[in-house]
Amino acid sequence: MKTMKSRRSGGDRGGIRKRGPTRTDRDGDMDMDGPGARGGKRGRGGPGRPTGSGSGSGSGSGAGAGRPARSGGDRPQARDKTLEAIQKAISNTRDSQINLRQGKTNAASNLEPFSVRGWKTSKVSSHRDGGVENLVAFLERRMNASTKSGPRARITKSRVEGDSLVVFVRPDLADRMLRLNDSLFAGVHLVVEPYDPSSSATLDRELGTTTGTSPSTADTKSKMTMILSKRYYPDTKLLDLSKLSSDPDLVAMGIFNQTSTESKFFPALMKVWEMGFTNTTQRREAVESVSLAHNQLTAITAVTTLSQTFPDIKNLDLSHNNLKDYRSMNAWRWKFRNLEFLDLTENPFSSEPNFKETMMKWFPKLQTLNNVVVRTPEEIAAQKKTPIPVQAPHFQDDGQIAENFIRAFFTRYDNNRDELVKSVYDHQSEFTLNVNTSAPKAQQTESAGWDPYIKKSRNLLKISHLPARMSRAYKGAEKILELWKGLPQTRHPDMTARPEEYLIECHPVPGLPDPTGQSPTGVGGLMIMTHGKFEESVGGKIETRSFDRTFVIGPGGGMGGIRVINDILCLRAYGGHEAWSPENQAIPYATAPAAVAPVAAPAPLAAPVPAPLAQPGIPQGYGAPAPGKTDAQVQQEQMVAQMSAKSGMTLQFSEMALSGNGWNFDAAWKNFEELKASGNLPATAFLSVA
Amino acid sequence: MATATDDTLTKVSTEAATELINSFYPALKNDRSSIASFYLPTPTSILFNGNTVADGAAVQDIFLNQMPEAFYEVLSFDCQIINRAYPTTTATGIKPTSEMTVKDMSVLVMASGNVRYGENRDQPARGFSETFVLVPNPSSDRKRRRDWLIQSQNFRLVV
Repeated sequence: MKTMKSRRSGGDRGGIRKRGPTRTDRDGDMDMDGPGARGGKRGRGGPGRPTGSGSGSGSGSGAGAGRPARSGGDRPQARDKTLEAIQKAISNTRDSQINLRQGKTNAASNLEPFSVRGWKTSKVSSHRDGGVENLVAFLERRMNASTKSGPRARITKSRVEGDSLVVFVRPDLADRMLRLNDSLFAGVHLVVEPYDPSSSATLDRELGTTTGTSPSTADTKSKMTMILSKRYYPDTKLLDLSKLSSDPDLVAMGIFNQTSTESKFFPALMKVWEMGFTNTTQRREAVESVSLAHNQLTAITAVTTLSQTFPDIKNLDLSHNNLKDYRSMNAWRWKFRNLEFLDLTENPFSSEPNFKETMMKWFPKLQTLNNVVVRTPEEIAAQKKTPIPVQAPHFQDDGQIAENFIRAFFTRYDNNRDELVKSVYDHQSEFTLNVNTSAPKAQQTESAGWDPYIKKSRNLLKISHLPARMSRAYKGAEKILELWKGLPQTRHPDMTARPEEYLIECHPVPGLPDPTGQSPTGVGGLMIMTHGKFEESVGGKIETRSFDRTFVIGPGGGMGGIRVINDILCLRAYGGHEAWSPENQAIPYATAPAAVAPVAAPAPLAAPVPAPLAQPGIPQGYGAPAPGKTDAQVQQEQMVAQMSAKSGMTLQFSEMALSGNGWNFDAAWKNFEELKASGNLPATAFLSVA
Repeated sequence: MATATDDTLTKVSTEAATELINSFYPALKNDRSSIASFYLPTPTSILFNGNTVADGAAVQDIFLNQMPEAFYEVLSFDCQIINRAYPTTTATGIKPTSEMTVKDMSVLVMASGNVRYGENRDQPARGFSETFVLVPNPSSDRKRRRDWLIQSQNFRLVV
């Protein structure tokens, strides 16, 4: 019963100040009526303060065997264990380190860890991921640049720890990694050094101490642990960090005497909190609400690391601060994606004209703003659900032609445009690009200008004169290459490693020009529609952009027996890839094709049909019902297959004959016989006998 | 077929694309009962967010019966000719080369823009990308007919 109660109170909507902490008394019983009046502003040692700020009170330890370690009356014990672990870590014995970081040590066996610092102040730190992805890409590039031979250097795994990015590489790459120390990344010098697993070094740096596990660090850590313990209410999953500057313990520590320690205090506090957990899920689940009320914050700069330590909180109290406008909160623009309750009362920002709109835009799940309901749960559900459910990509390939083409395309576009053009573009291929300069963005940073592209952009909304429309179309391999050579270098994500960052769809298309000129009725090919992102480096600055790119490919003399007929590219500000993630949808749709992998990149067909493009046999599944296929489609496919079998024509021609005759089989057959008799059907209309 | 000059080809194709953008998106908002008329009777492929839709009538049905109000705003679009001698299939079969005109082409159209569903103005606009293939209308019925019809369509929310 107790468990039920405490769980329910933890999951309750309605926010932190209104409801406040639900506490346990010394017997471990719930005190449900206490918090309202006192929540968020209780001083130390006030009446009813939670148990467990002292170490000896194990009074709740007998409660419920199956309960999660961090709920209800178990807290003191759990906290003690945490403290113990931290203390052990500080004492720097080998055993305790392994103990504390067990999971991570095992996972990264045989790999060497390095810490990379300095990047947090780089130009890309405003990126949605803090610039981590750019940094990893940069490190990999630089490691590979130093040696031409041998296997490609890769960063096998990485994670952010405070201001460090901890990267893991194969031991043979250690030298190359260390050589990157002091290299220039997006305007800052990086510090690369072997990673010190004790974490104390990191904490020391943050607190400005120089030596390893000095007594002062240990002292600081245990004091911080006590402060956190005192301010954490496990029953309501609240971490109350309000009125920090008047906390007697913090004042006693002298944290606020110097600006230097003050700015390092909060990140250090967050780190100490993180060290109390050995697993991320536990850490994320421990806190649902944070109060930073009454802290005289003029910007969130000093506390910005809150969003790294607690990315999933639902309730955030920032009331009684001095936040002026949205700019003072900009670093949290893309954070706290699950925030439901936000209190900014008693901040100048709250009286700005666009306050409500801005906050609702920033936090898509926000329900209560300044204690006023701004969205109902129903509205939030409706908002997530697009009227047309987002499904996995429709990828109807033909003998893996499209898959092979697209897998190779972006790497080659990044690395060797010359070779790419020569291999699959011919004198009839066409390329155009257009820039959508006002597309919605996934991040509120000023996006890079479009200078390198805008003069080539063939946005027909803006380019209305015929000569300009003509001059901005690039026909033939030569002209295309000439244009591409003038466009910035790009780096598209690795499609195999990051399939979720692409959405690729494909379907056959009839009626393409026949390069041999033999078939006036055209040949069949494939249309490939891609969406994704790339990075671009202009003058040492790395920008991320999104793109939409559609190809029409048909049989031809290029590599793999194909040619690119059309290549049309749309560029826009970075918009992320959540929009096409089927998992992102609130409701799992029963009709979602179960067989299709949830990732966006083309999955190889179960049984690729090795048919030439212009004369495909009957692909697997053709004419058979499948998820996402309508009955009418199945019927049509069956008719096409039947027509093909009877007439000996390819599927495309069979389909053309049928569609041209209103799907009347007899009429189509009559039509076929007439055309055949009059010699109006090209050889390519028929399946080859060989 | 007379050999068309590049400027004629560009004019015809970009006008076809412009006509589509200027008529199709407003129809999705205000004139949903006309949606089916934009499509070839048997389109190659119609996809909305990965969902296959059979034909124009089915698209119209979805928009009439399932979709809330939708506000589309195309912010950029472009087009290319796919086949400048597209084999238009008329009622009597594939049009002979001798009868083909400059308009017998297939056109690839790509649009990029924003869409907002429903009345709630607080909802953020979503970004979409949409690719069409347009082909000449094979119908000889000259009354109220569209010059170009959608042979394939692929709509995706991308932001």
